Amino acid sequence: KYKIPQFQHGQAYLTSHRVCWLDNEDPRKHSVAIDLKDIDRPELYAGFLSSSPKITLYSKINKHGVSSLQQKSPYSPSSTPTRRQSQTRPIAPTPTLGPNATWVCPICSFSNPIPPNFDPATANANTKIPKCQSCGIPPPMVLVVKAALAAMSNRQAKPESPAPAGPIETQSFGTFRCTRCTFENHPSLLVCEMCGASLVTAADKRLEVERGDLDRAESPGPVLKELNLNDDKIESVKLSFRGGGEKIFFERLKGAMVQRKWLLQSAPPIPRPTDSKRATSPRESFERRPSDNLVGIAGLERRGQALRESNQLIIGNAFEDLEALMTSAKEVIALAERFSSQTADGDGGSSEANAVVSALGLTTTKDMLGSDTLYISELSRNLAEFLTDDTKGVLRKEGGIMSLVDLWQVFNRARGGVELVSPADFSKAAEMWDKLKLPVRLRRFKSGLLVVQGRDRTDDKTIASILAWLKDLHFDPPRAEVRWDWTLYGRGVTAQETAQRFGWSVGVASEELEMAEEKGALCREQGLDGLRFWENWIVNMPALMI
Amino acid sequence: MPDPLPPAYTNETFPFPPHYSFPPFFTLQPNPLTRTSQLQSWSSLILSYTRHHRLSTLSVVESYNTPLFHNPSLNRRLPTSDIREILTYMSSKDGGERVEWIGKHGKDGGAGGKCWVYWRRPEEWADVLESWVERTGQKGVVLTLYEIGEGDATVGAEFHGLDPELLQKSLGVLVKKGRAQIFGAGEDQLGVKFF
Repeated sequence: KYKIPQFQHGQAYLTSHRVCWLDNEDPRKHSVAIDLKDIDRPELYAGFLSSSPKITLYSKINKHGVSSLQQKSPYSPSSTPTRRQSQTRPIAPTPTLGPNATWVCPICSFSNPIPPNFDPATANANTKIPKCQSCGIPPPMVLVVKAALAAMSNRQAKPESPAPAGPIETQSFGTFRCTRCTFENHPSLLVCEMCGASLVTAADKRLEVERGDLDRAESPGPVLKELNLNDDKIESVKLSFRGGGEKIFFERLKGAMVQRKWLLQSAPPIPRPTDSKRATSPRESFERRPSDNLVGIAGLERRGQALRESNQLIIGNAFEDLEALMTSAKEVIALAERFSSQTADGDGGSSEANAVVSALGLTTTKDMLGSDTLYISELSRNLAEFLTDDTKGVLRKEGGIMSLVDLWQVFNRARGGVELVSPADFSKAAEMWDKLKLPVRLRRFKSGLLVVQGRDRTDDKTIASILAWLKDLHFDPPRAEVRWDWTLYGRGVTAQETAQRFGWSVGVASEELEMAEEKGALCREQGLDGLRFWENWIVNMPALMI
Repeated sequence: MPDPLPPAYTNETFPFPPHYSFPPFFTLQPNPLTRTSQLQSWSSLILSYTRHHRLSTLSVVESYNTPLFHNPSLNRRLPTSDIREILTYMSSKDGGERVEWIGKHGKDGGAGGKCWVYWRRPEEWADVLESWVERTGQKGVVLTLYEIGEGDATVGAEFHGLDPELLQKSLGVLVKKGRAQIFGAGEDQLGVKFF
């Protein structure tokens, strides 16, 4: 029922195991994933007038009334068979019973607390209700259910226990008049001193404050300050599809959940061909049976067994194809995942495996996604993940910076021989990194060379590291005999030496040195043996001299 | 008053600045800031070198091999194009206008090119001459240029051994100021009279 300000713009992804939500603004911090196994059922609400269509995911509530919908750690994508994108935002969960819910005993009118695990939705005749604390008579179920519902609708605060947070807000508001007994309570109380009713008006004040923070002026609805999904009492999560795409998402979600059920409860084995042949004439086989009939219990048993067999055959017949698909789907998916991990390493992987991988849509391909921009942005994310993957250490091996061409070559090689990326698409995807706020960025040198580096690597840091290295050379005697005072000036370095020292490629190294020269940190020397770069003593003469 | 030069100075070895032993100093820097700093350092080096060796003119080709532009210990030398670049800088307003190209600039016509290097400008020389005339009480006396430049009377003076052309230039400044007058015909027989 509540919107959360940090979760306004993003994309929703559906995978075979979870529903993920990626924030557009700050992907690393504000992304959420919900496991499919925690979702009880999804519900689609088609939009009406100005309210956008929504999908509500209800969480599974186990016996103790604690929902199992939890917030997961930052988004970690896995290979997925399907992906769908739309502009969504999740809405905060509806709260469950708090400790302040009470029911009034009809006999002695004492307010008893409702036990925290009481859930009006699942309560039935077997739910144990404690007796009234003053008169000892258990109340009718209906009364408690009604009281619980009333308490839930009255509760509007954060799902946390409000007791520690309450007093801070209510200090300034005089005395509180209890709604039930009109007793003037101290503002810092949460429960009325006389009758025990909860004083929830404090929460209203808090809500009003937060209402002022709404970015979307035209949309009504209260807002939570921030999302706190780590709490246990979440009942549902709503995804609002302002940009469309909810129908497809819903269909896929339902399909994914059905598939999950099939995977969990392993499908019965494929009926063998011999059985199917026999199944075509179950009636005959059944009628043949009575001829073998024995009298007595054995006969009855045999008849029952025969009935069961024929049932199984009929059902097996009907679902034959579906079962075959399900079981083999499980195996094929496992196989494909294994292959995709192999090919991603860049070693081995026959072309058939790659064909399987791409056939199953485990890699982003152009024809898979309809629009061009969607392909580019997904490719962009793929690339960023590929680069920052620590197990492969692609960027690390190149010293933290590599040219775009090198990256293109490595990436295509990792993809195998199928579904290569064209240079045009590649460069377009690289340019989107900054827009999507991914942790890598594209950088253009003065000569036009495009390189890829981590976001936190700046020119100044590079210059500082180069200078530090050159300073060390003051203490390191050069190998050959040199005629200048190396203790004072150090020595010059070539692009080759720099590349070797930092692990860069030579092209990148010479570009970095020229960049440092442009900034004034280095000066160049054209000698007979080539171009060398020195610390810029021309501008900063050592303080010893003059 | 320009400071007097001790006459025996020319026999000592010239003290090169620390830049001189820094190899990149001999490569013209592309970075504008570094280049400006480099040109300034070269400028002061050239001026002090010519002052020390009492050179009035500099020829690009001939000075290429001198220790001014060639450091034998480092085995680094400044190429002629860069020499010309520096001298051009020195002749410009930013460079202090202490260099004046003689005749055609020589930019298009080969590696030649000669220039005046005014580690002391003609105006400054004029002042020196005037103060000497005053000190020795030679006002009104007619002197030949040769006498001033190479005469026995002027041994010990700063302008002894000065390039005759430069001397003539300096005297020309005085003439313009109205403090002297040059007369006579022929190069060697020019006389000057100070007022």
